[in-house]
Amino acid sequence: MGSKGLLVGLEIHQQLSIGTKLFCACPPVKSEEFPYHFERRLRPSQSETGRLDPAAVFEYSKGKSNRYFWSPESSCLVEADEEPPHQLSKEGLESSLIVGAALGSHLVDEVHVMRKIVIDGSNTGGFQRTAVVGVGGAFEVDGAPVGVQSVTLEEDAARNLGEDSGSRHFGLDRLGVALVEVALDPVSGDPEHVARVALHLGRLLRSTGRVARGLGTIRQDLNVSLDGGRVVEVKGVQKLNLLPRVVEYEGKRQRMLIRVAERLKSSGVRCWHKDATAVFSGTSAGVLARAVGEGGVVVCITASGLAGVLGWEPEQGVRLGKEVAEVARANSLGGIVHSDEFERQGVSQAERDALAGLMGSAPADALILVAGKTETVNRVIPHLESRLEEAAKGVPAETRAATEAGETRYMRPRPGSQRMYPETDIQDMAISAATAARVRRDIPEPWTSTVERLRKKHRLSQDLALKLYDSESVEDFEATVVSLRLEPSFIASVLVDLPARLEREGVPAAGLGVETLKAALGAVGNGKVAKEALPDVLKAAAEKRLSVEEAISSLGLGTVGEQQVRKVVRSVLDRESKLVADKGDGAFSPLMGAVMGELRGKADGSLVARVLREELAKASAR
Amino acid sequence: MGDLSGYRGTALRFLKGASASVGDVLEVRTSWGTVTGTLVPRYAYGDEEHIVLKLKSGYNVGIRVAGLKDAKVVSKGESPAFSPPPPPKSPKGLPRVLMLGTGGTIASRIDYRTGAVRPAVSAAELHALVPELSSIAVVQPEIMFEVFSENIAPAHWAKLARRTARAVKEGFSGVVITHGTDTLGYTAAALGFALAGVPIPVILVGSQRSSDRPSSDAPLNIIGAVTAAATSRFSGVYVAMHLGESDDKVALHRGTRVRKNHTSRRDAFVSVGVPVAAVYGRGGLETESEGLPPRGGAFTPRPRFDERVALLKFYPSMPPSAVRGAKRSGAKAIVVEGTGLGHVSKEVAKELGAFVKSGGLAFMTSQCLEGRVDMRVYDTGRDLLRAGVVPLEDMLPETALVKAMWVLGTGAKGPRAIEMMTANVAGEMTARTLPS
Repeated sequence: MGSKGLLVGLEIHQQLSIGTKLFCACPPVKSEEFPYHFERRLRPSQSETGRLDPAAVFEYSKGKSNRYFWSPESSCLVEADEEPPHQLSKEGLESSLIVGAALGSHLVDEVHVMRKIVIDGSNTGGFQRTAVVGVGGAFEVDGAPVGVQSVTLEEDAARNLGEDSGSRHFGLDRLGVALVEVALDPVSGDPEHVARVALHLGRLLRSTGRVARGLGTIRQDLNVSLDGGRVVEVKGVQKLNLLPRVVEYEGKRQRMLIRVAERLKSSGVRCWHKDATAVFSGTSAGVLARAVGEGGVVVCITASGLAGVLGWEPEQGVRLGKEVAEVARANSLGGIVHSDEFERQGVSQAERDALAGLMGSAPADALILVAGKTETVNRVIPHLESRLEEAAKGVPAETRAATEAGETRYMRPRPGSQRMYPETDIQDMAISAATAARVRRDIPEPWTSTVERLRKKHRLSQDLALKLYDSESVEDFEATVVSLRLEPSFIASVLVDLPARLEREGVPAAGLGVETLKAALGAVGNGKVAKEALPDVLKAAAEKRLSVEEAISSLGLGTVGEQQVRKVVRSVLDRESKLVADKGDGAFSPLMGAVMGELRGKADGSLVARVLREELAKASAR
Repeated sequence: MGDLSGYRGTALRFLKGASASVGDVLEVRTSWGTVTGTLVPRYAYGDEEHIVLKLKSGYNVGIRVAGLKDAKVVSKGESPAFSPPPPPKSPKGLPRVLMLGTGGTIASRIDYRTGAVRPAVSAAELHALVPELSSIAVVQPEIMFEVFSENIAPAHWAKLARRTARAVKEGFSGVVITHGTDTLGYTAAALGFALAGVPIPVILVGSQRSSDRPSSDAPLNIIGAVTAAATSRFSGVYVAMHLGESDDKVALHRGTRVRKNHTSRRDAFVSVGVPVAAVYGRGGLETESEGLPPRGGAFTPRPRFDERVALLKFYPSMPPSAVRGAKRSGAKAIVVEGTGLGHVSKEVAKELGAFVKSGGLAFMTSQCLEGRVDMRVYDTGRDLLRAGVVPLEDMLPETALVKAMWVLGTGAKGPRAIEMMTANVAGEMTARTLPS
C-alpha cells in the first residue's frame, strides 16, 4: 500500500533563542526541583452561540484537576496565572519576524496576540497565547516549492510531569518559553518526502541564527488526511526520524478506517448497552475479574454489524478494536474486551451465551465489555458508543499523539474553530514599514549558500558539507581548518562522521564533546598521533572516559620517526620476499596493510606509503 | 451605517467608504495579496491607521489602511444568537438565593466574534457558567447596574442596601452580590453598616481572573458565595474570594474587616486584624470565627450615606493646606491615616485642631493597617487627642471612611456622631487584639 491520496500538513514548533520567556522576564531554563505547587481546575468557556468547544468539554469531563509545580528560578506569578502577562518580548517578536522574512512570508502590519483555548491543563490560563506575524511564503525542497501558510509567535505549554488518579502534573518552567510555529501547506504524503520537507525547514530555521538548538527545542505536529477526508491532527513528533513512520502509520490507519466504513456503509452501526456484571460474578477473564473483585461493574455494549470488524487487520497493526480501546484509555479506563478477542481474553462459552441472551444480539453484532469503577464506566460509555457508531462514517476528526514507536494514539476530539479570542491584556503592536525592511535586510545567509560555501572553499563533498551544517559544528570546523594544517575533509569527517561510526560499532561515542574531537584533531595536527590511530584514541576516550592525552598514552601510542618506519618496512619486505618477487609493484597494497598493522597507528599513513614505495622499488630492482 | 466601534480617523473613513460594519466579512486587496476576514472592533487604545480582520483560522491581524488597494464586503455580519442549554432543574425545597449583578467581569461571557466581554444576564447563562449552582440553591439573578467597581459610589451602596432589605422581606435565604474587586472592600463595609443586623447572609463576590477564561476563579468563588448565602448559620455581610492560589477553598471575610492586598493574585483579599470568618471547601462551609451573628432577628436598614468625608493619608512633608483643602471641598469629617500608633506632623496636627474647632470631625486610623492606634504614648498623639482628633482603635482606614459617610448619612452630628463612630456596629472594631 502506498501513500496515494495522503496529504500531510506540517506544523513545526521551534524554540527561539532569546533571554527571557515571551510574556515575562523569567529565564527560559529547566528546573529540576520545584519547591511550590498549587492545584487548579479548568472549565470550558462558552462560545457566543452558547456552544462549548468539544475538545474542552472532553478534557473537563475527565474530572481531573491540575497540579502545577513551580520554582522561582524559572517562573513567576505570570506563569501561575496570578499576574497579567507583561508586554510581548521585543526580542522574541524580532526573532519571529526574521524567521518569517527568511521564509518569504508577508509580515503582518500589526501583531495581535490571541488566546487559543487549550484546557488539557498544559496552560494555567486555559489558553495559549499566540500571534500571527507572517502570512504566506514558500521554500524549495527537491526543486519544488512548499508553501507556507503562516508564521506564528507563541508561548510553549507547561511541561508534562505525569499524572496520578486525581490530577495531572505539570512543571511551570517550560510554560511561556518563546516558540515560532511554521504551518505549511499540505504536501503529498510520501513519508520520505514529508521528512525531507521537515529537514529542509529545520535547516532554514537554524540558518536564521535565532532558534534554540538541542534536544526538545523542536517539535512537529501533523495534519493528516486521506482523499480529502477529515483531518486528523497528530501532535508531538519530537524526532525527525520518527516522522516517516508516523506518516506511514497514520496512512495505514486511515485506510483501515475507510475500508471499515465501506463494509458498514449500507447498514450503519447502532449501539445499546446493559449492565452485565452478574454474568461475570465468577469469571476467569483477568480484566473483568479484577473490576468485579474491586466492586466495579461490567457493562456490555452491543454494536450492530461489527462482529469480526473490530479485530479485522487489513494492514498490520491497525484495527478498529484498537481505536476503541484508545478512546477508553484516553478516558482513564483500561478494561475493555470485545467479542473478536473473547477467547484470547478468557471469556468462557457459557459467559458468551449468557451475554447474547442478555443483550438480544445477533451473531453479526459485536459485544464490547467495559469494566471498571461504576462512575468511570458510566462516563466512558457514551464516548465509546459514539466512536463505534462513527465507524460507519470513516475517519473521525480527532487529535492524536505520536508515540515513541512511531504510531499515533487517540488524545481527544478536534477542537472547534471558535476557540480563539483576543488577549486583551497585551497591546497590539504595529510593525512599521521601516522595521519590516530592516528585518528583511538582517536575514542571515541561507543555509544552501552556507553549504555551498563549505563545499567549495574546503573542497568537501555535498554529503559531508550538509552533515557538517546539520551538526552545529560549522564554527569549530572553520576554526580548526585555520589552526591545524590538516585536510578540511578529514577534519569534517572527524567532527561529524567519526562519532556516529563508532556508535554503530557499539562505542558510546555520542557523548564525546566537540572539545574532545578538537583535542584529538590537535594531537594529529601536532604529530603526536597518526590519523589512522584516531578511531582507537576516541574509542578509548569514550569507553574509559579519558582525556585525549590519557587515551594516547593508555594505548602506548606516540609517533615513530622515518628511520623506525624504514626498519619495519624492510623487515616486512624480507619476510614477504616471495610476494614481492611474484607481484612487484602490485604487492604494494597487501604490504601496506602489513606494515600499518605492525606500526599500530604509530606512524602517519602517507609517510609509510612513501617509505614503502621507495623500499619496494629498491627490492624490485634487485 | 453599522457599528464601527473603536475605529477613528483614517481607518474609520476607509471603512465608511467601503460601507463595512463590525461583523462583516471583508475582502481587502493589499500590495502582497488578498486577505479575507471578519471585521472586528478596534480597542480604544489602538491607532487610527489599521483595521483588524479575524482570519478563518481565528487569528486577528491588523492591516494598514494606507497600503490597501481595495476593500469589499463579501457578506454582511449576522449577530449570532446565544442559546445556552436549558438550566438543569433544581431539586425541590432548595433555598432561594438572590444574585445581584453590579458589573465587573465576574459573571460575564466572551463574544467570540469580536472578543468583547458581555455580562451574563439570565439565569440560564449563569447556570451555563456554573452548572453546580442548581444543586445548591435556586438562584434568581438580577442586574442592578453595569459599572466598573472603581466607578461605584455611595449612591450604588444605598441602592444595593435597599434591594437587599427588600430581599429579606421576599423571603430569600441569602443574597449574593457580584462586584468588581477594586472597591469590593468599600462596598462590603458600606453594606455592613447600612444593613447592620440583617437577618440573612449577604455575600459579595468577585474574581481576579475574568470569567471568560477557563482558569477563572469566578466559578469557585460563586459556588462558595451561593453556598454561604443558602446554608450558613450566620448572618451579616461578607466577601467570598479564594483563600489561596489553588482552586480548593474560598474564604469568607467580614465585610468591615476585609482588604484587597494584592493587585492580581486570586487570594488578594485578606481579613485584617481578625481571623477569616468561614471557609468553603470540599467538606462544605466551615465557620472559623466565633461571635458571628446568627440568622434571624429584627432589622431596620439605614441605607443613607453622606459623601462629605475625606480620607487623608499622612506622609512626611505633607503640607497643612491638605487639611484646609479637604475642608474647602466640603468635608464635614476627615479620616486620617496616620503613621504608627496614629501620628501626624506638628503642623498637620495644628491644622486638624483648627478643623475640629470650626465644627469638623477628625478621626485617626493607622497606615500600618495591622494593630490598634494609641495616641497616649507619645506627645504628638496626646496633642492630637487634645485637639479633638478621635482615635478609632483597630478600624481599617477605608472602613472608617465608609463608616463616617454612613454615620453622617444617619443625620448624627457632633458628640452623637463621635459616639456612633467609636461603637462597634458591624464587627469593624474589636476590644481585644488577639495573637494571630
